[in-house]
Amino acid sequence: MRAQIEMELEDVPGQLVKVLEPISSFGGNILNVLHERERKTPLGRVPVRVVFEVDERVKLNRIIGALRDMGVRITRVGEKEGAVRSTVLLIGHIIHTDIRDTIDRLNELHGVRISDLSLAMGAIGQESAARATITADDEARARAALSRLEKIAKGKSLLMITSLEGT
Amino acid sequence: MRLILIGFGNLGRGLGRALVEKARFLRASYGLAPRVVAAVDEYGAAVDEKGLKLERLLRAAERANTVAAYPVRGEKKKSALEVIDEVEADVVFELTPTNIKTGNPGLTHIRKAMLAGRHVITSNKGPLVVAFRELDGLAKRQGVEFRYSASVGGAVPVVGLAKKLLAGNEVHAIRGVLNGTTNYILTRMSKEGAPFEVVLREAQEMGIAEKDPTLDVDGIDTACKITILANAILDMDVKLKDVRAVGIRRIRPEAIRLAQEAGYMIKLVGVARRGSLEVGPRLVPAGHPLAVGGTLNAVTFELDLAREVTITGFGAGPRETSSALLGDLIDIHRTLGG
Repeated sequence: MRAQIEMELEDVPGQLVKVLEPISSFGGNILNVLHERERKTPLGRVPVRVVFEVDERVKLNRIIGALRDMGVRITRVGEKEGAVRSTVLLIGHIIHTDIRDTIDRLNELHGVRISDLSLAMGAIGQESAARATITADDEARARAALSRLEKIAKGKSLLMITSLEGT
Repeated sequence: MRLILIGFGNLGRGLGRALVEKARFLRASYGLAPRVVAAVDEYGAAVDEKGLKLERLLRAAERANTVAAYPVRGEKKKSALEVIDEVEADVVFELTPTNIKTGNPGLTHIRKAMLAGRHVITSNKGPLVVAFRELDGLAKRQGVEFRYSASVGGAVPVVGLAKKLLAGNEVHAIRGVLNGTTNYILTRMSKEGAPFEVVLREAQEMGIAEKDPTLDVDGIDTACKITILANAILDMDVKLKDVRAVGIRRIRPEAIRLAQEAGYMIKLVGVARRGSLEVGPRLVPAGHPLAVGGTLNAVTFELDLAREVTITGFGAGPRETSSALLGDLIDIHRTLGG
C-alpha cells in the first residue's frame, strides 16, 4: 500500500534524517518527502509530509509506533489512491461458477478493482485455484471488497483464503 | 507431593519417564519429591500409598498394556473414580483421550478430583472445550489449583506465557499455527507439489496423522485450542461450537503454488479475538513469524504494551508434552509455597 504520514518536527538540525530512518528500517520504500520550512506552525515546528510504500499494514503500524516512541508529533496518516492491495486465493469450480460474474460484482464497488488474476486449472472434474489481487483506495473499501467476495464465494461454494494481515 | 495419574497411554508414560529422569533434578532445584500413589487406565489400576516404582509401572504397562499388570499392587477393573475416592493424594493428572462432544471420561474425573479437594493438571482438551467456565469456577470454589498447559501447544508454553510473563498486557488477539499434523501436510505439499491425499497417507504411515484424521484436517483440533485460549487468556465464555472452523481438505498443490508466487505460504491458522473466533487456511507472508514449517507450532499474541510476541516449538510428542505437565506440577508446588 502507499501511505502518507504528516508530522511536525522541531526546527533543529538532524530531525528530518531521524524520522526517515524508522520508515526505511521497517521496510518502507520512501517515494517523496515534502519539508515545508516556510509554513512553520505557531509553535515554530516544521510540517513534513512523507509518502512511502509498504507491503503490509502491520509494517505501517510499526513505523507509526516507532515515530511516536521517538516523540514525533504525527498530525495525519493517510492512504493514497489504489493504495491498499489484498491478495486472495479461491479454490473451487471457479470457471463453472462464472468467473466473469465474480469479477464484475467486485468491480461494481467504488474505488475497488481486480488488478491481477492468475488461474491454475485442476484436472477435469477437479477444483481449480485462482489468485486475485484486489486494489482499493483505502482500508474501508478493501474491507468492503473482501466481505463482498466472501459472500460471492459462499454462494458459489468456493473456498476463499485471505491474507493473515486482513484478519 | 502425592500424585494420581489417570490415563497411562503415550502422555501418561511420557510423564512417568520424565518423573524418573528428573527425580534428582526436581528435588535439588525445587525441593519437590513427587510420589505416584496411583495410576489408572481403562483396564484397571495400580495403587501404593508409599509410592509406585515408576520403572516397574512402565514395564508392566508396556508388557501387558495396562497398569493393572503392576506386580502385587495392580488390580484389574478398578476405576478412576474409585481411585479418586479411596486414595489420598495432592494432585490428579487427567491424561485420558480427548472427547470433544461430552468431555468424558475426563470431565467426570476432573469434577470428582476437585470435589475431593485435589489439584488438577490435564492435557485433555475435551473437558476444557465442553466446560471450561464450570471447571474454572469449581476449582476456585474448592480452593484447588487447575492447570492445563499441555492442552494447547504441547511443549510450547502458550498459556503460561500469556497469563504469567505477559500479565501486564491486555491481549487484543491470539493467532496461531496450533496443529502439527496439518502444518506437516501443508509443508510437504508445498515442498513436493504432491496432492493432499498422498501426503496425508504418508503422514499416517509415519504416525504423524491419525487413522481417522478428521479432527486434525478439518480444523477441529485447532478450534479446540482456540476455544481454550479464548477462555483462559481472553477471559471469554465460549465453547467449541462458537468457533467457525474450516480445514485443509480442499487445499490443492496449485493453490499453494499460486500463493508462493505472490510470496505467501498457506497455513492453517486459528484466530481468537473478542467477537471473532475462527480457524481456516490463511495466506501467511514468507518470513512471517507464523510461517513455521514441519510439525512446529507457533503462536502470536497481539498486545497493548509489548505489541507482538511470538513463541514457537514442538506441539506434540510424549517427551515434549511432559515438559508442560512437569511445568504445571512445579508451578502448583511453588504456588502452594513449596
